[in-house]
Amino acid sequence: MVCNSGTSLVPTVDGRTHHFYHVGIHDALFVMQDAETKTLWNHITGEAVYGPLVGRSIGPISNLLHMTVKQALAMDPATRVAISDQMYFAGGRRFGTVSRGPRAGGSGNGEGARLGPSPDNPNAAMTDRFAATLGKEDLRRPRMDMGLGVWTGTTSRYYAIDRIRARGEAFLDRIDGRTVLIYVEAVSNTPAALFVNARSARREGRGVRLDDGSRVESGVLTDRTGGRQPVERPQQMFTRWYGFSLTFPGCEVFGDEQR
Amino acid sequence: MTVNPVLSTSLAAVVAVAVMSAQGQNRPFKPVDLPNGPAKAGFDIARFSSAGNGWFETFYVTQTQPLRDTLTAGKVADDTRLLVTETAGGRLALLTEQMAFHHIAQGSAGGKDWLVSF
Repeated sequence: MVCNSGTSLVPTVDGRTHHFYHVGIHDALFVMQDAETKTLWNHITGEAVYGPLVGRSIGPISNLLHMTVKQALAMDPATRVAISDQMYFAGGRRFGTVSRGPRAGGSGNGEGARLGPSPDNPNAAMTDRFAATLGKEDLRRPRMDMGLGVWTGTTSRYYAIDRIRARGEAFLDRIDGRTVLIYVEAVSNTPAALFVNARSARREGRGVRLDDGSRVESGVLTDRTGGRQPVERPQQMFTRWYGFSLTFPGCEVFGDEQR
Repeated sequence: MTVNPVLSTSLAAVVAVAVMSAQGQNRPFKPVDLPNGPAKAGFDIARFSSAGNGWFETFYVTQTQPLRDTLTAGKVADDTRLLVTETAGGRLALLTEQMAFHHIAQGSAGGKDWLVSF
């Protein structure tokens, strides 16, 4: 929402399904509550943060990837979709029967107009209501800076979108001893990461060419003969700096000298 | 006017935001039924705000359909933005525009529960 952060979790505790809903804001990130125990939960890590289930988490966490319909079908033609009755637009037409507002997103910063600044607005400002919930901020990057946050059990690293673009929108890095491709998906214009076995990468049309002849396009990894290869991705999210740095205090920042 | 290259938004969606934003003006937040702690280290209940409580509805998913069929039927377009996750029942897509309202979707697939937050 506010920082565009999203993850996929498993809403079960001790084998029982819990039912979650938005209940408020902390660190300018939305907080979930479960109906069964009223515990508050961090929606990025899946950790209980306040209430009787503190110490528990709902997981394992998995990726929630941004992409277009075209990309999704290229990645997996068997992809299914769930569509609610909430109004939406596609192909210039309006669908859905219900317009329940407000919604997050938008491009301004008016209080009450939505719950937070849109991820598509790099110049968005945070309203006082949200700023009041922030903890001690990490000032290494601008609060509303956008980038790709990647984390493992031992490493959390932020790649500012400007720095990804400055590296030609495709480059290799190392995380926990493994080589990871950091790139911008050309179709959706969103940053992404996946593990590869290569020594260099460069943008090639709408995809990324690796030095071993393999290619990544629309989230699909193919070898030099065009054969599809399995894809493994580190945990990641397209996010704003404040959201990632407050969730992962002391995280590494790609391109900073301290690395 | 400059167009942000990071994420482009359709004009229709922007108009929708304006309409729904106006609807949200001055809408009160519901009080939160809070437990009496405890708090995880780093979570300061004094900084918790009930902003938005009661505004959004979790999307409880009870049925899905093949994305390709939805495209063929014209209910989505090639460039419609999705949030895609993997469930025990295979890859599942949600419409980014709808999730900007719901924020949370949950359901069951392949015999296992899943939850998406956005």
